[in-house]
Formats: sequence, structure tokens, C-alpha cells
Amino acid sequence: MIQQILAYGTLIIAAGYLVWKFLLPKSLFSKGKSNSNSCGSDNCGCN
Amino acid sequence: MSKNINVALIGNPNTGKTSVFNQLTGLKQKVGNYPGITVEKKEGICKLPRGVKAHILDLPGTYSLNTTSLDESLVVELLLNKNDKDYPDVAVVISDVENLKRNLLLFTQIKDLKIPTILVVNMADRMDRKGISLDVGAMEKKLDTKIALVSTRKNTGIDHIKELIADYKSISSKPILDPTRISPEYFDRLKKTFPQEDLYKLWLVITQDVNFMPIEKKRIQDATDFSTKSKDELKKLQHKETVLRYQLINNILKETYKVDFMAAKGLRASLDKILTHKVFGYLIFFVILLTIFQAIFDWSGYPMDFIDEQFAMAAEWVKNTLPPGVFTDLLAEGIIAGIGGIVIFIPQIAFLFLFISLLEESGYMSRVVFLMDRLMRPFGLSGKSVVPLISGNACAIPAIMATRTIENWKERLITILVTPFTTCSARLPVYLILIALVIPEGSVLGLSYQALTLMLLYLIGFGMALLSAMVLNKILKIKSRSVFMVEMPTYRLPLVKNVVYTVIEKTKSFVLGAGKIILAISIVLWFLGSNGYSEDFQDADRIVTERIENEGLSTYSKNYIQNNVASYRESAEAEGLAPNALQDSIEVLTQELSERAVAQEIASYKLEHSYIGQAGKAFEPLVKPLGYDWKIGIAVLTSFAAREVFVGTLATIYSVGSDEEETIKNRMAAELDDDGNPLFNLASGISLMLFYAFAMQCMSTLAIVKRETNSWKWPMLQLGFMSVFAYIIALIAYQILI
Repeated sequence: MIQQILAYGTLIIAAGYLVWKFLLPKSLFSKGKSNSNSCGSDNCGCN
Repeated sequence: MSKNINVALIGNPNTGKTSVFNQLTGLKQKVGNYPGITVEKKEGICKLPRGVKAHILDLPGTYSLNTTSLDESLVVELLLNKNDKDYPDVAVVISDVENLKRNLLLFTQIKDLKIPTILVVNMADRMDRKGISLDVGAMEKKLDTKIALVSTRKNTGIDHIKELIADYKSISSKPILDPTRISPEYFDRLKKTFPQEDLYKLWLVITQDVNFMPIEKKRIQDATDFSTKSKDELKKLQHKETVLRYQLINNILKETYKVDFMAAKGLRASLDKILTHKVFGYLIFFVILLTIFQAIFDWSGYPMDFIDEQFAMAAEWVKNTLPPGVFTDLLAEGIIAGIGGIVIFIPQIAFLFLFISLLEESGYMSRVVFLMDRLMRPFGLSGKSVVPLISGNACAIPAIMATRTIENWKERLITILVTPFTTCSARLPVYLILIALVIPEGSVLGLSYQALTLMLLYLIGFGMALLSAMVLNKILKIKSRSVFMVEMPTYRLPLVKNVVYTVIEKTKSFVLGAGKIILAISIVLWFLGSNGYSEDFQDADRIVTERIENEGLSTYSKNYIQNNVASYRESAEAEGLAPNALQDSIEVLTQELSERAVAQEIASYKLEHSYIGQAGKAFEPLVKPLGYDWKIGIAVLTSFAAREVFVGTLATIYSVGSDEEETIKNRMAAELDDDGNPLFNLASGISLMLFYAFAMQCMSTLAIVKRETNSWKWPMLQLGFMSVFAYIIALIAYQILI
């Protein structure tokens, strides 16, 4: 039983991580625009 | 509580801004003897004397405030916008003691914006060796500023910078050049139209777009409306400004800066002549590349075998020690096998980055960029495209970001589109395992076939990038070309600290970045491979046992038993075992091996009818013409997110239900096709390598291309073209070689 719980718990975490990484838009998780990743103004063509 | 002092670190490329930034803030941004390291602004906090704190901003390198590219424009936008929260209270201009004349052009421009400006003369430790003498006091007076002599290599002068920043209010913000000297008539009108505005700032706003072709930039309404001169005329005035500034700088340097050229010249000039020579330059580069690839194979073999064996042993230990159950199986067959699939490549990745780091640190990489510029021109690429293309050998993501230094939009776009063809480190695990499996171990002229194949794959990637650029150049019809200027840094002995740091950081980011994804995919794959809904899966034991009773073991199993028995017989005979004892022990061994083979056949049957097996079988018709079975098909499919997942996926698939904990390479080598021949043969191996050489297979790169081009059109075109092209080439290769 414990083995089952541990195994399926691991599966849920792994699948959740992959969905978060590749399928969900990052904007859902970010609080605001980070300045450190900006290359300039909003209309400089690279944002 | 007092506000932090805003400090902007500004300077020409490759003057050591990032090193100064790291030493001021204690952070560890990547440093290199290679222009274009900083393409974004980076920030950190620095503690100053008397409890004051400074907010330090490391800005991209720029030669002047007459911007020509995106990264440079970031500097000007900040300096022109007093409302920006990062607007500096004090600017710190980092200069290189050997290139002071060129560096001072930027210094004088910043000073003319009436910002208190400190001059940092870096690399001061080279002054004696280069015969340079500098009258700091006299230069401070002439430039009306404070100067700090610094050596980031020797860690000297940093405290002096901190003191100067803390006392920034005492630094003069008086301009150094009267802007009306550029064109009295033009500036007079400008003054009358905008009496409240600072003339030099207005001039910079007006001329910001002169060298900047297709990208929309911020505009200040009133000022741009005033622009009564054509772009050509404004450019001429810019040139005049530059000439006036150099006259001023020359006069200052004449009295304060002396170089004994007899001492300064010599080794560097001779080395440059050879290393950038039209023939010898390429020859030397070619030999260096060969040496690197040879070393990657020769040196990393033992640690790789060691790691592989440790993971096999760990899986066996887990199975034998933990209570039997689904979680124990998941740990042994899914998690450990998956992680093993990536950790095994640490030695080779580390060696690759060791060599790249040595080339960068020594200053040789800039000579390569210069050499490559000649090679690039016929393909319609700018010399500036070389930096992203070479960086692409580590990872396409920072390489695509490095295209921000290219001012011409179409050249930048072409570079973005072709960079993913260069061989990034994620391709390396795929190449290495396939080369080890399908390329023989012999050598020619002391160079192993395996090392030569790896080098050829790198050249194919680079060649394809050039070829695609040429085609895109024709399609996109680039009219204007940008000017290529590359900093030639002084040759220097690589700093062990920097090299070790780069190797550790790059390897760590590769293993941790890719490792999390691989681990998650391995877990999901293991579940999909260990469960199934069909009756075949549920009844596998009975079906396989009945089949073996009726038809006997499969060819693979028979070969497996025969080979093991033969090798046992050979060693037992060599040890002088008596014939009767030998016969008895062979019977026991055959029985054991048969039981193992039956278990293996049941596991294999189950896998084939598991969820992943069903999905793989559905996908198989698409990859069959390329020489791949459904298992490889699944690995290709899962590695769409990231190439390096390929090996981890195969490692997990092959270990599902396996009782024997073998190394990844052995498991792959033992795979047979329907006819009982090795699945990974020369034809399928080459086909797979070429597929990975050309296919996009990287979601993160697609995301960064979307961000840099501000459109989904380009990444989708890139994905479509690269995938179709990779498929066609892999298909042709397999069909020719089979």
C-alpha cells in the first residue's frame, strides 16, 4: 500500500512538473515583468 | 533610511565590466575574454564605506552613445531617461588601459550628459609589461573627474572604486565638449526651439535612430518633429562630433599617457599574424578542433564507464535491498535509469566546456571570430553572426539572445533562424551514445574514427547553418550590411578560477536543467511502460509461456544463452576445469539463463502491449522507413521537448521489467530488429545522428525565438522546416546505407 502511494504520488508530481514546464503559460505564475530579463523598452522589438 | 546610490557600469565591450560588477557585488555573472558577454542589464547591491549601499547596474558593452544595435540602445535609453528608476546617480566608465583612447570617446559622451562620471582604468597590472605609463593626477584634472586604477585579475583597486562611488557628490558633472562646436548653426536653431532642454541630450535623442534601421524605437514627440536634416546629414554631424572628441582625447593623452612601443609590440603581433592568417589560421583552428574532439573521446571513456557501472549497481542494490513493490521498481527501473542516462555524459560535457573556456580565456576565440568573418561573408552573414553561431555550440538560447548585437534586422533574423543548426551540448549525449554503438573503434593517422565522426557532425551543423543563411539571404533580400568590428583582446594565460567556474557552472546547469525534465519524463514513461489496458498485457505471462512451449525461445534469447555459455566454457577450460564438472556447471548455467530469457521475453511482450508500446506502435509506421523501431520512435517523440531526453528515454524503456541491471550502452547494443540483427547498426545510427543534427527538438529554443522575433511565425517556420528537412535527410541516409 505504502509502495503504491509513494509511486503514484511521484507520478503526479512528475506529470504536474511537465505540464507546468511545457503546457501552462508562464504568465500565470509570474508576479510581474522582471527587469533583469528585459533588453530595453517595451517597443524595442525584442519583448 | 537613505536611498541606495544608483550606479551604472558602462564601457566598451571586453573591458572587464562584468568582472568589476562581480567584484563589487559579490555576484558571479559569466566572464570571458570575449566581446558580447553582457547583452542584458544585470543588477546587484554593493556595500560602500560608511554604511552606504549602491545599486549596481552592469550594462551591455557599447563603443559610443551613437547606438547601432539593440544592446547598445539599452544604455542610451537609460541615460536619457531621468524618470527611469535605474537612472544613475553616478556613471562608472570601465576602460582597458591598452585601449584608453577608444574607451575615452564613450567617457566624454557620458560626461557631457552631466552625470557625475568616474573613470576606471582596468587591467592596470599589464602597464609595466606593456611599457605603459599613466599620469593619473594630470588626467583627472584634464578630464575633470576621478580615476581608479584597477586590476580585476589581481583584485586591486576595487576598494578605491567603492570610495569614489560613496563620494560621488564631489565629482564634477560639468560637460567636457561644447556640443555647439559640432554645428553652430544647427545647434543654435535647436537651442531656440527647445530653450528648456539640454542640448547634448536633445542631440542624442534626435540621432538615436540614425544607425538603427528597421526597429521602432521610443520617440520624444517634440524633438523628432524638429529634425530638419536628413539621416545622411545627421550621420555626417555624428562623424564630426567623433572627430572633435578624438582631437580632445588625443590632446589629453599626449600629456598624460605614454607607451613604449618597443616593449608593447612583439609576441602578440606575431601570434596574431599566424593565428589569423588566411591559410595557417584555418589550419590551426582545424587542428585545435580535432584535438578537442579526440580528447573528449580519449579522456572521458573511463569516468563514463565508471558512472554507468555505478548506476547499474545502484539499481541492483535498490531492487535487492528495498521491499519488492511498485515503488521499488519505479526507483530501480525508472528513476535511477533515467538519471543515469544524463549523468553519464558529465565527463564529456565538462571536457567540452573546459576547452571552450580555455579558448575564450586565452583570447583565441576573438581571433576565431575574426577568421570566421571572412568565411561568413559569401553566405550573406555579418561577422557579428559568428558570436551567436559559436555560442550555439554550448546552447542555442543564449546564442539567440546574443544576436541582439546585430543592428541589421534581417541579418539578425537570419542568424536567429540558423543558429539552432549548430551543435548544442544537448545533442552531445545523443551523438556520443550512437557513435559508441555504431562507429568502429579503429583509427587513422592517430585519430579515432569516433572522434572524427563527432567532429564531422559539428561541421555538418555549422555548414548547414551557413547554407541555410545563404538561402534565407536570397529569399529575404538583404540590401544593407552592417559594419563588423571585433575586439582583439590581449593573449593571456587562462585564469584557473574562471575556467573551473565556467566548467562547473555549465555542467551544473546542463545536468540540473535537463535533469529535472529527464527525471520527470522517465517517471511518466516508466508508468506508461509498466501498465496497459489490453488483455495481451494482463495475460502476458500465460501467452508468452504457451508460445515458448509451442515454438521455443526467440532467436535473440537463443543467441543470448549460446553466447554466455560459450564465453563461460572458454574461461572454464582455460582454468582447467574437469570435463564432467564443466558439463554439470554448463547445465546449471543453461537452466539459469533459460529462466532469465523467459522472464525477459515476458517483460518485452508486456512492454510491447503497455500504454507506451501501443503509442509507439501507432507511431512506428512514420519512423520505420528511417530504420527505427517503436522504442526509438518514442524516444524521438519525447525528445521533442529537449534533445537530451532521447538517451534517458531509451534507458528507461529498455530497463522496464528487466531483471538484469546492465549499462545503457549494453542494453542498446543488445537490441535486435525483427530479423534478429542489431537494431543500432551503421545505417540506423547515422540516420538518427543526422536526424538530430537537423531537427529542432527544443521547446525552449522555440520560445526564445518567439520572444526575440515577437511573432510565432518564425519559430513555427523554423520548426516545420527543420523537422521536415531532418526527416528527409535521415530517410535518405538510411535508405542509402542499408
